[in-house]
Amino acid sequence: MTIKHLAGALAATALLTVSATAQDWSPPGSIELQIGFGAGGETDTLGRVIANQMEEQTGWTVVPQNKPGGGGIAMFTGLVNAPADGSVIGLGVSMPVLINLVLRGDELPFDLDSFDYLGTVTRAQLAIVAKADQPFDDIPGLVDYAKANDGAAIAFDAKPQELLVLAINAQDDAGLRPVSTESSAEMVQFVLGDQVLASFSAGAHLPYLESGDLKLLASANADRHSYAPDVPTLREQGYNLYVDPYFYFAAPAGLPEDARAALSEALANAIASDPVREIVENALITSVNNLGPEGTATMLDEGLVNVGTLFGAN
Amino acid sequence: MVDLSVILAGFADAFTLTNLLFVFAGVALGQLVGAIPGIGPVMAMAIAIPFTFALSPLAAIAFLMGINKGGLVGGAVPAVLINTPGTPDAAATALDGHPLAKQGKPEKATKMALFASVTGDTVSDIVLITVSAPLAVLALRMGPVEVLALMIFAFTVIAGLIGNSVTKGVIAAALGLLCATVGLDPEHATPRFYFGWFELYDGLPLAAVAIGMLAFSEIIRRIIASRGIARPAIEIPRDQDRADRRVSFAEYWACRYVMARGAAIGTALGALPGIGSTAAAFMSYAAAKRADKDPDSFGKGNLKGIAAAESANSAVMGANLIPLLTLGIPGSIGAALIISALVIHGIQPGPLLFEQQGRLVYGLFGAMIMANVMNLIVGQLGLRLWTRVVRAPEAVVFSSAILLCIAGVALSTGGLFGVAIMLIFAALGYAMTSFGYSVVIFIIAFFLGDRFERSLSQALVITNGEPSALIDHPVAILLILVSLISLWRFGLSRRRAAAGDAS
Repeated sequence: MTIKHLAGALAATALLTVSATAQDWSPPGSIELQIGFGAGGETDTLGRVIANQMEEQTGWTVVPQNKPGGGGIAMFTGLVNAPADGSVIGLGVSMPVLINLVLRGDELPFDLDSFDYLGTVTRAQLAIVAKADQPFDDIPGLVDYAKANDGAAIAFDAKPQELLVLAINAQDDAGLRPVSTESSAEMVQFVLGDQVLASFSAGAHLPYLESGDLKLLASANADRHSYAPDVPTLREQGYNLYVDPYFYFAAPAGLPEDARAALSEALANAIASDPVREIVENALITSVNNLGPEGTATMLDEGLVNVGTLFGAN
Repeated sequence: MVDLSVILAGFADAFTLTNLLFVFAGVALGQLVGAIPGIGPVMAMAIAIPFTFALSPLAAIAFLMGINKGGLVGGAVPAVLINTPGTPDAAATALDGHPLAKQGKPEKATKMALFASVTGDTVSDIVLITVSAPLAVLALRMGPVEVLALMIFAFTVIAGLIGNSVTKGVIAAALGLLCATVGLDPEHATPRFYFGWFELYDGLPLAAVAIGMLAFSEIIRRIIASRGIARPAIEIPRDQDRADRRVSFAEYWACRYVMARGAAIGTALGALPGIGSTAAAFMSYAAAKRADKDPDSFGKGNLKGIAAAESANSAVMGANLIPLLTLGIPGSIGAALIISALVIHGIQPGPLLFEQQGRLVYGLFGAMIMANVMNLIVGQLGLRLWTRVVRAPEAVVFSSAILLCIAGVALSTGGLFGVAIMLIFAALGYAMTSFGYSVVIFIIAFFLGDRFERSLSQALVITNGEPSALIDHPVAILLILVSLISLWRFGLSRRRAAAGDAS
């Protein structure tokens, strides 16, 4: 998916939202905002602050509820049966949902068409990092180093990252060994402590780039990172792979048109507010990126194809 | 090194009336939610974080720190008074705290818990404030191989709690480990034992299992045992001696080694992310029991048992901040919440924090000291209230506790699914205790199982499955040797006990 494509979708959505302003619609009661992760994570913080802003801007009552389990799968499983009247919306992350749809879509009670999409908050920036004093600066260099040293351990914290490592192995016979961890913080800890040669990271590495302890080998997203425009992506380094985790809002399919327009507009306004922008900038070190309802649906459709490729590569 | 003027400015920032009020409010809230089964300080912090957005960074962190520290003290209250730990890390406190309360000395038991908690907390805070930087470097060298060895060592120490039957203890531990395998496996994310319930993808919810096993099953037991007479939950003799209501300095001082050991265990486990305060409390308790001249007095209301558990679980809190502030690595969910509060305010914990935000860090340390003092003051007042509450008739105390368990678990696990899990584990816990299987061993195995499996898989990948690679990990080899010695001594003491029974 290219940025141009997204921008087009975004512009189209913006027009649509403006033309279909649904001033008259108001929720049937309070709105339940289901967060697909436990209390305290990035998604939870985003959800709660957005709920807060929506309440202030619209006067509606928005109640955030944590529905953790399976990276959002538990929440979406419940959401699919919720009333499609705008009283329940969900906040999830795209990658775990897409992976489960690819891996065990037949077991899930939903697919991408089971929901109406309301917009995205932002995209997480996923980096591949190593200690600054390592003798390589990019992924081909890392692969050569690993080949010369009987392979190497690489830390990851989510399935798609493991698949990226295995795909690099398949392409170059690098002998990389993926080490499963729980968070970016744990991965960075392993890199700094010389437990692994390199790792993925979605933010925890940034202070260490600044302090000069770590260096960025590649962006694992579809395009380069805002804070390091000189470091090429994995794709630019010769591996046709990427992951793009988006935080996105959905509601059960069949939402009335006015409710959908009003909700996505309210969300868009909340996401554009200063507190939400600040949190996205501080916590995720990126800027808000609302693809709008249509753009979100396109992002998920294309993401599903990409994840399928990722799994096919192994 | 941070300039002295920065340190002083930081402390000066902290010691203002506004911050004092926020710390006070945090501690009071923390003690309250800690004491209510099921809600807990973590949930309270998660709810409070968006509201702290409007505060200054220092006031916000001071408030959250107050909740976290207050929760450490509050969790012990229901554990001691009605044997239903409000937080899982207070389960070890109940082992001796509740028997003492049943003897009619609830105030003595809760006060000992309070003093030990504040002592352990203060010791680890001092370690944090003085030597966090070198400790963090040390912690960084402790990779999965060392953590795995440390967990094996922890298991051999905790084995001392296994009780009369080794077979039953091993069965309880195996059951706990089995329950810990529910959900996605840590290595390849294959779902296990989820029976089509996607809620179980991340494993059985900790809060639901802990509250069900430890609190709810005990409430059921008490209700079944009641005979329709309106008795108070705890009987306190009317003409009680003053000495039975307070902890004398001599009694406190007698526990000094136990508390020092507890604080050391808590600080060490706290500095290593991910093992947690529940393990620290049980490890300290088991070590105190083993080291004591009269191990049989433990579990019957020994003050040292309370002191060991509370000093260790509270020490974890301060030490958790060592990897948090210096490396940006959270050691617990509570610590992760503090990080998210920091980043909301644009402060990135990590290598540059002391340099860039030295004043704020020392302000935070100042707030922690205030929180410890507040804990003592609010605790002294609060305990009196709580001991009065449990003098209400059993029927009132236990029915409200049931309501709070259900509400708390529903809140922290996101709905009635968690409540169902809680009820299932309450039934399991009731059955296990009735047949003499240790619920405590189950809970420890359940809590550590996940981390153990993850460390094992990480260690195998990092060493590439070669035992010879252990040569590069001398600390791990040392820990495994110590575990073997610990296991051998455990076997020896059991044989001696068996011989003693025979004669």
